[in-house]
Amino acid sequence: MDSQVDNLIWKLRRRQIVGSRLTAIETLLVLRQYITKAKFTTIDQLIQKIKGIGARLVAAQPTEPVVGNIVRKVLHHIREEYKTAANKPGSSIQSSAFSLRNFVVSGQPRHQATLQKTEARDHLTRSRSDWHHDNHAESLKPVIMEAIQDIFDELETVYESVSKSAKDHIHSDEIILTIGKSRTVESFLKAAAHTRKFTVIVAETAPSYGGKSTAKALASAGISTFLVPDSSIYALMSRVNKVILGAHAVLAQGGIFAVSGSLMVATAARAHSTPVVVCTGQFKLTPLWNLNNEYGSADIENPDAVLGFDEGSLVDKVDVVNPYYDYMKPELIDVLITNDGDHPPSSVYRLIKEAYDDADHEL
Amino acid sequence: MASNGPKSQSQPSDSTSAPPKSQKTMSKQERRELQEKQRAAKEVAKAQPAKGAKAANKPSQASQDNQSSKKPSKAAEPSTPSLGASASAKSLNATSASTSQHNLTGTEAFGLRIFSHFGAIKHPSGPAKGDIHPAIVRLGRQFAEFAITGANARCIATLTAFQSVIQDYSTPPNTTLSRHLTTHLSHQINHLVGARPMSVSMANAIKHIKVEITNSDIDMPEQNAKDELCHKIDLYIRDRIIVADKVIRTTALRKIQDGDTILTYARSSVVEKVLLYAHSKGREFSVIVVDSRPMLEGKGLLSKLSSAGIRCTYILLPALPSIIDEVNIVFVGAHSMLSNGAVFSRAGTAMVAMMAQERSIPFVVCCETYKYSEGIHLDSFTKNELAPLSVSIPAASSEEVQSEPNLQILNPLYDLTPPTNITAVVTEVGVIPPSSVSSLPFALGRQFI
Repeated sequence: MDSQVDNLIWKLRRRQIVGSRLTAIETLLVLRQYITKAKFTTIDQLIQKIKGIGARLVAAQPTEPVVGNIVRKVLHHIREEYKTAANKPGSSIQSSAFSLRNFVVSGQPRHQATLQKTEARDHLTRSRSDWHHDNHAESLKPVIMEAIQDIFDELETVYESVSKSAKDHIHSDEIILTIGKSRTVESFLKAAAHTRKFTVIVAETAPSYGGKSTAKALASAGISTFLVPDSSIYALMSRVNKVILGAHAVLAQGGIFAVSGSLMVATAARAHSTPVVVCTGQFKLTPLWNLNNEYGSADIENPDAVLGFDEGSLVDKVDVVNPYYDYMKPELIDVLITNDGDHPPSSVYRLIKEAYDDADHEL
Repeated sequence: MASNGPKSQSQPSDSTSAPPKSQKTMSKQERRELQEKQRAAKEVAKAQPAKGAKAANKPSQASQDNQSSKKPSKAAEPSTPSLGASASAKSLNATSASTSQHNLTGTEAFGLRIFSHFGAIKHPSGPAKGDIHPAIVRLGRQFAEFAITGANARCIATLTAFQSVIQDYSTPPNTTLSRHLTTHLSHQINHLVGARPMSVSMANAIKHIKVEITNSDIDMPEQNAKDELCHKIDLYIRDRIIVADKVIRTTALRKIQDGDTILTYARSSVVEKVLLYAHSKGREFSVIVVDSRPMLEGKGLLSKLSSAGIRCTYILLPALPSIIDEVNIVFVGAHSMLSNGAVFSRAGTAMVAMMAQERSIPFVVCCETYKYSEGIHLDSFTKNELAPLSVSIPAASSEEVQSEPNLQILNPLYDLTPPTNITAVVTEVGVIPPSSVSSLPFALGRQFI
């Protein structure tokens, strides 16, 4: 069973899993397997074990933040289920849920809201000490399994949920610009195409040329599509009504990692006051900050795609840079459309607080 | 060639009269309009079978409608600036037309129509119509296949070809060189425009030649007049292009310091000269070449620079934000300058300017004064050109995307950089801010450039 985890680690290292959602599903499967077979006496043990696995998985592929996000989500659900279970008997419900003192003292308002117990601090310390000698941890497994199944369902239906509001965001005869290959954006546009007639301009996204497959997919869905090279984005921007982008990961400050080229699209959109919409799943929210490199990429790709060996003598004399991702600061984004609704980038911190526990930010 | 002389006598005003054209020589759009009109007329004839005379008049009426509709359809294609004579589209074979891009039908979806004024892609001309000089035929072929690219290169090639045309020209009787040569040249120019829309550099040079022709002395013997014109053309090339470039590179040298990182986009002949000159003068700098489809011209510049020994980095356009922090100055070339200070240049330049402006990195345009254009365009759509698919460099991992019905591929070649993103323009008369570009003609003492 540890071999399952090792398997996943090797797959991640060799980049055999491509795509955030697939990576998320694989990680969740492995975690579920692990929890089914795990033996633990206290919930704390389980949490520590999962954290250890999570740390190894994240180290295997640091450019894929989704792995860590899923681990954190599972941990969060485990803690929640445990708290609800542990506090069912003898719960004296007081609705002093949002007293300012408790907010300041405990620092987790949402944390309080889910609990049906008194908000007194001593109760917190009591429950914390409960974790260490706990006798019904094992019996919590089925509840945890249910919670994991919920996460699964959320992952499975992420495209449909994000596309629900598509026809409200896209109007008839609009011209939309997009870049790169994102399945979320594709399903978003296809869903809108059921009821609206609009045009999409797809930028090629050199050198991965993901835009080509997007254009093909959209055209076969009946949307009138234009495929243009990246060089003409500024030229066409004056006619574009909206820019819709996909994200690789959403960072804690509200910025996103997106495929290389997105930063230029967003800057050009700002110059023309065109709204920038990012379609993403909730599982891409990462409680990490981008402090190292303001514009730089999380991942550098093979330079062969830019200047290959068929160029011969040039190869030794010339440096080639081929970053795969751009970092877009939150000021460039107007709205994030997630499977949980629409949010401005300024409220991403709150979404992260609700989704994960502070203790898990560092795995 | 001596054989051209007598021919030009017999068909002097070929371009001005417009006989009803056969279907082969009409453009696709005109042919379609003709078909629609014929179809519409057929409906009318069906509804009123008594009026048999109408049926007989249909073909001639349709062709006459076509003549009048030719003008509006030409007006809808501003990408072919006409020089007085209407630019006649050359023979488009049905086969060659069907293999490539837009089918601009009347029933197309809204989205496709908004780009329709880019104009139908011109294909390499078939057999030249009328008496086109072989040098012009060759040049047209080179333009259509993008063997010669770049505003300066095209202008010099055109002027050199015109020198051959002028030398081989002989004045027909009952007219003078100063009056007739212009018409003769216009006919040749139409052939070139049919191959590829004219660049502003070519247009300005041709305007200059026409003025010189009109001003040539009527009493001079013909050969002397022709030699004089060829000499004037040589002077134009020397003064406005070659020497101007030399002055520009000396001026730009003052802006390059040791240890600088210079960024350039695509391939400009002027910037190439600037960088090679600075290197030969012993400046230590490194260059980042930014490149992009559809033409991927930066690779040529890259090999030139690195074989000269300059340290280079090569990136594609989307990677620009990741490295622009290390850049000290940006040099680009231009296709033309507009009177509001905007610069019309290779597609992608506007984005480089935007990113440089954001980081407060000086964005310098190197441009000779003869590229000045009087009009003002507000966006990149008003006048632009689409690269034919056969000419644009295919993407490395190219799947077949042409076959989808709802999918169209656009490769605009130019875009417009607004003057706010430009720091300075280096011309042969000095380094000027973009707002001063409109006073260039006055400063040079001319009514037009």
